Amino acid sequence: MSNSQTTGVASKRAYVAAIAIILFFWQVAAWFLPDFLMPDVPVALQRLWEELNSGEFYEGLGNSMSRLGIGYGAALFFGIILGLVGGTLNLVRSTLKAAIIILQSIPSIAWVPLFLILMGFGNMPIIVVVAIGAFFPTALSVMNATESVEKVHISAARVMGASKLQMLKRVYFPAVTPELITGAQLAFGNAWRALISAEMIVGFSAGLGKSLAYSGEIADMTGVMTNILVIAILAAVIDQVILERIKHRLLRYQYL
Amino acid sequence: MELQFSQVTKSFGDLNVIKQFDTTISNGEIVALVGPSGCGKSTLLHMLAGLQQPSSGTLTAGGASVARPSPERTLVFQEHALYPWMTLLDNVALALEFQDKPRKMALAEAHKWLSKVKLAGFEDYYPHQVSGGMRQRCALARAFIARPKVLLLDEPFGALDALTRMTLQSVLKDLIEEERPTVVLVTHDVDEALYLADRVMVFSQRPATVLKEVELGHIPKTHDLSVFADVRREVLNLLGIDTDEHTPADSQGETA
Repeated sequence: MSNSQTTGVASKRAYVAAIAIILFFWQVAAWFLPDFLMPDVPVALQRLWEELNSGEFYEGLGNSMSRLGIGYGAALFFGIILGLVGGTLNLVRSTLKAAIIILQSIPSIAWVPLFLILMGFGNMPIIVVVAIGAFFPTALSVMNATESVEKVHISAARVMGASKLQMLKRVYFPAVTPELITGAQLAFGNAWRALISAEMIVGFSAGLGKSLAYSGEIADMTGVMTNILVIAILAAVIDQVILERIKHRLLRYQYL
Repeated sequence: MELQFSQVTKSFGDLNVIKQFDTTISNGEIVALVGPSGCGKSTLLHMLAGLQQPSSGTLTAGGASVARPSPERTLVFQEHALYPWMTLLDNVALALEFQDKPRKMALAEAHKWLSKVKLAGFEDYYPHQVSGGMRQRCALARAFIARPKVLLLDEPFGALDALTRMTLQSVLKDLIEEERPTVVLVTHDVDEALYLADRVMVFSQRPATVLKEVELGHIPKTHDLSVFADVRREVLNLLGIDTDEHTPADSQGETA
């Protein structure tokens, strides 16, 4: 317990130091470049504060978060199912895995033109692209973990008379949870990148990516840097605070 | 429950592990199988558990052919068979939950069985927080809670130190005397076989054939090895260990 606490403090310190260094380099660049190319850090923070007090910002944030939530949520759900089922089916496993590895290597943003035409201008193509980005790493991590569930854990459940469903719920699912969480964190990074880039390209209704692209189009560099700041802060908070908390919760037994 | 092997053969590809094996284990009998590593003893046990099927011949339990695992015939593994994500209490209760018993009742029973194996107070510990001996006590509780008619033990104490092993053997002996299941014990430890069993079957190298059966029913069960001196020498000689050596060779460790 004390061990994980000290590492927690150490990683917080590392984060504070890293943020300070990043902001320092940004400020150095701002000193050397004219204001219309690179705004000072305080100016961007000032703009951020104004944004936080405007309704428009929250509309965009809400849109982006719901696209992320639906796309990422669906990807986790189907990824876990495909991973568990694929991992237990010896016959199709290697083919399925190869297919996932091939499809995974396509940047999810490359699907935008296809889905834009297929589904029309709207939320759907963005959500689907987010889901594609998150689906493959989730499915792959769960499938690999399912494959390597200890034989004795399966045999033990069988001699205790477990049904197929009980086996999936009480043995396979908890056994793959550690790898699932790692996969889900990787998937989140993919989903986040897919979300911002799809919003930048598709530009349907308000959103973080659209706001960033728009600032760029009107050469508002303060707006660009403010948007990048928002995107970075949100990703760090979701990954390091929310997902880490869930991880500690689900893997409580490992931290005792 | 009577167990009967008739002309049971088991091969994995070209590898003949068991060849036309015949024996009957009567209801309530305690039989130990000893023999060199890889001679097929564990395969016999896994077939009894229903985890593996004979390639030919028939295997019956209580007159019915053994086709699949059943909680009536439970198997205790060497180690690592407890689920690391569950507390000791949940691990034991799971055996009843897999039989669709209500959780409340399963937990109450699990409490009872944990105190029987002297683990009261450790209900909320996770397996990695307790010693190997305590894990195997828990594994015994998990096996006995389902009141099996047949108890199969696959080198249950093989990974424990000598002293812990002897304590666990006494715990097991008491539980067997109380519950009176039919017991088949696979072990490398000749002394363990002599201490626990009514009958010891000594196996040859693969394909497994019985070199000798030793009836022990008339000898009182004790850890004082002097009462077994004659049979012990005989069994060790059959396993290729020279008991006349004057130097304290550790050849027993080699075969084990």
